[in-house]
Amino acid sequence: MFLLHRSARFFTVVFGVLLLTFLLIHLVPGDPVEVMLGESASSADREALRAELGLNQPLLQQFGIYLNKLAHGDFGNSIHTRTPIAELIKTRYPTTLRLAMLSLCIGLFVGIPLGIYSALKSGRWQDILVTIVSVRISAVPAFWLGPVLMLIFAVWLGWLPVSGMESNTSIILPALTLGFGLSAILTRMTRTSLLEVLNEDYIRTARAKGLSERVVILRHAMRAALLPIITIVGLQMGSLLAGAVITETIFSWDGIGRLLVESIERRDYPVTQACVLIVALSYVAVNLFTDVMYRLADPRVRMT
Amino acid sequence: MKVLNTIWLTCLAVCLLVLCACNRSDANQQLKQTVPIRFALAQMPLNLDPRYATDAASERVNRLIYQSLVDFDATSNPVPKLATWLMVSPREYHFSLKQPLANFHHHKPLTAYDVKATYDSIITLKDSPQTSEYSNISSIQVKNETLVIFQLKQPDTHFASKLIIGILPKDDIEKKHDFTHHPIGSGPLAFEHWQNKLALKRVRDGQLILFTEVKDPTVRVLKLLRGETDLLQGDLQPELVSYLQTKPDITVKTVAGVNFSYLGLNMQDPLLRQRKVRMAIAHAIDRQSIIDKVMLKSTRAAGAILPPEHYTNAGVALPAYAYNPGLSKQLLLEAGVQLPLKLVYKTSTDAQRVRLATILQAQMAKAGMNLEIRSLDWGTFFEEVKKGNFQLFGLTWVGIKTPDIYAKAFGSQQFPPNGFNRGHYADAELDAMLLAEDWPAVTARIQAQLPYIPLWYEAQFAAFDKNITNYAPKPDGNWDDLATIKRSATISNHAH
Repeated sequence: MFLLHRSARFFTVVFGVLLLTFLLIHLVPGDPVEVMLGESASSADREALRAELGLNQPLLQQFGIYLNKLAHGDFGNSIHTRTPIAELIKTRYPTTLRLAMLSLCIGLFVGIPLGIYSALKSGRWQDILVTIVSVRISAVPAFWLGPVLMLIFAVWLGWLPVSGMESNTSIILPALTLGFGLSAILTRMTRTSLLEVLNEDYIRTARAKGLSERVVILRHAMRAALLPIITIVGLQMGSLLAGAVITETIFSWDGIGRLLVESIERRDYPVTQACVLIVALSYVAVNLFTDVMYRLADPRVRMT
Repeated sequence: MKVLNTIWLTCLAVCLLVLCACNRSDANQQLKQTVPIRFALAQMPLNLDPRYATDAASERVNRLIYQSLVDFDATSNPVPKLATWLMVSPREYHFSLKQPLANFHHHKPLTAYDVKATYDSIITLKDSPQTSEYSNISSIQVKNETLVIFQLKQPDTHFASKLIIGILPKDDIEKKHDFTHHPIGSGPLAFEHWQNKLALKRVRDGQLILFTEVKDPTVRVLKLLRGETDLLQGDLQPELVSYLQTKPDITVKTVAGVNFSYLGLNMQDPLLRQRKVRMAIAHAIDRQSIIDKVMLKSTRAAGAILPPEHYTNAGVALPAYAYNPGLSKQLLLEAGVQLPLKLVYKTSTDAQRVRLATILQAQMAKAGMNLEIRSLDWGTFFEEVKKGNFQLFGLTWVGIKTPDIYAKAFGSQQFPPNGFNRGHYADAELDAMLLAEDWPAVTARIQAQLPYIPLWYEAQFAAFDKNITNYAPKPDGNWDDLATIKRSATISNHAH
C-alpha cells in the first residue's frame, strides 16, 4: 500500500515537473531556432527549421511528442554540441553521484560524532569551540573555501591536484569543500537534537537502570535524535545530487549541476529540460529513501 | 699496433658516446613530444564541425584542424591559404588550389571536389548558422582537381574574404561523418580524441596538445602555478595577469588587440536619438584612466570598429572622444535635457563587465548622468539586445576582418533579423557611402554621428610555463601558434 501510494505520488511529481519545465522553457526569452541558425538567417530558413523541429505545432502537441520521445528514452540532441543528451547525462550523472556520496560520508563521519561530543560537553569550552568552528564553517561559501583548500593542499603542499578529474585523488578537494559545509550543519543539528532528547525521562530511566553512558547515548538517545538529522541529510543529499554548481565549476568537475548551468547560459533548451528532469527525479528518489529511513529509525512512524 | 689499438678504441668510444648522446637527445626529444602541452580554457569548443561552429573557442581550434581557401594578413587583407583566386567579375570567382595539394589527416589529397562538397553542404544544410552567409552562391563548378569556380547571384567584391570555412573531405561529407566530435581536416593539428579533454596531435612532429576547460579564472592561475597546465590565454582579470608577471617561472606576453568594445545605443529612444546626447555620453567617459587602472596595458582607446592597422584605415587612427565632463553637461543642456539624465545600461554578469559598468556609472555621474546598471545572465542579456530592448548596452565585436561589418551594423536595411543594426540606426547619407564602399567617409560619418560609443580594443595576453617557447598571443586572440609551440630542452619538474 505504501509503495503504491508513493509510486502514484512519484509519477504525479514527475509529470508536474515535466509540464512545468516544458512550459517555462517556452516562456523564457530566446528561440532555439535562432540559437541554431544565428541572427542573420533568413525568415524562410527559420520557418523551415521550425517546421522540421516541430516547433510550429501547438504547444500541447509539442508536449505530447516530447513525452512520447521521453518514454522511448530519447532526450533529443544538444543544440550546440549535437551530442545525444542521454549520452551527456550518462557521463555526467555518475560523477555527480560519486562526489555527492563522498561529501555525504565526510559530512556524516565528521558532523555526527562532533555533534554528539558537543552535546555531551554542553556548556563547556569544548562545546563552545565546536559551536564556533561549525558556525564559521557553515558560513563560509564554497567559492571561497574551494580556492583556499586548493592553495593549501595543491599549490603550497603539493599533495593534491588543483582541479580536474584526471587522478583518483582529484575528488578529495571538492568533496572536502562540500563535506565541510555539510558536517557543520550536521554538527549543529545533532547537538541540538541530542540535547533535547538527553533531558527526556526515559533517558534518566535508562541511566537509573545502570546502563553504560555509551549504550544510553548510542542506543537510546541517538535513535530518537536521528529523525531531524535524517531530514537534514535527505535535503542536503537532494541538493548534492542536483549538482553542487559552484563546487563543480571551481573544481572543473564534470557533473550534472555544471551541465545544467551551462545549458541555461547557452540556451540549450533540450539539455536544460533533461537536466531538470534528472534533478527532480533525484529529489523524489531521495525523499522516498528518507521516508524509509524514518521508519527504520522509529517504527512508530506510520507510512501511508 | 698498440697505437692503432688505442686509436681504434678511442674512435669506438667516441662513436659510442655520440650514439649515446644521440639516443639521449632523441629520447629527450621524444619525451618532450610525448609530454603533452596542456592548454587551460575558460570555455571548451562546442562544435568541431566548421559548418556549425560559432563560438570563439571552436573557431580557434578549427583554424588549427582545418585549412580554408583564404586567410587574412596583418592588415586584414584576404590572402591565399589553400588557394589563389581570380575575380573574373564580381559575380564569378576562380579558385586554384596551391600545388602540391594539401593532404587530409587520413592521407587523402584535398582537391577541388572537396571544396565544392564543403560549400555545397553548407548551402543545403537546414540547421547551419553559416548557411545565410553563403546564400549568395548560385553555383559551384569543378573544372579539374585544382580549379573551382564560384558563381554568385549578386555581385560581391568581398566574396573571396568570405571563404574562410575549413575544407572537409567530400567522401566523409557524403557519408554524413560526425565532424562535430571526430573532425578530419588538413590543418597543422590532427584530432586524437575528445573525452574529458580535447587532444590534438601536431602532424609535423607528433606533439600532443591537450585542451581542458577550467571555468574559474583563479583556478586557471593556480593550475599554471602548480604545473597542472602549461598555457593560458585571455579571460583573466588584469590583476591576475599582473600577479602572474611577478612569478619567475611564468612568462607573460601581451599584444595590442583588435577586438572592439563599444556602448550600443537605442536610436529609437527619444533622448538617444539626439546627436548631442550621444556626444555627451562619449565625452563623459575617461577611457584612458579606465585602461590605465583596470585593463591590460596594451589596450588602446578606439575610434572605429576596425583598428587603425586595418587596410580600410590605411594606418590612420580616428581619435577617441576626449574626456570632458564639463562639455558633456553643456551638450546635455543644449539638447534640452533635464539633469540628471537617467539612463539604463545593460550588461552581462561577467565580473569584469560589471566592474567596468560601475566605473562608467561613476564617470558619467560627473557629467550629470544617472546610469542604472542592469546585469543579466548572458542568454537573457543578448536576447534583450537582439530584440532592441535596451537604452545602452556594452558588447565587443570579436574577430572582425571585413569592412562589410559597417553595413551589417549600421545599414538602414540591416535591422534584426536581417542584420546586426540592433540600435535601429537609419542614415541615408551613410547608406550611400556604404554602397560606394567609401570606407574613410563611412568611418568618419559613424564617428561623427555616434550610433555606437567606441571604447577600446582590448589587449590580448598569454601566460605560460618558462619551458614553453615559440608561442605568442595574437591581436584577434587566435591560437595559431599552437602549430609551432615547443617545450624547451628542460622538461618541466611540475607534476604531469
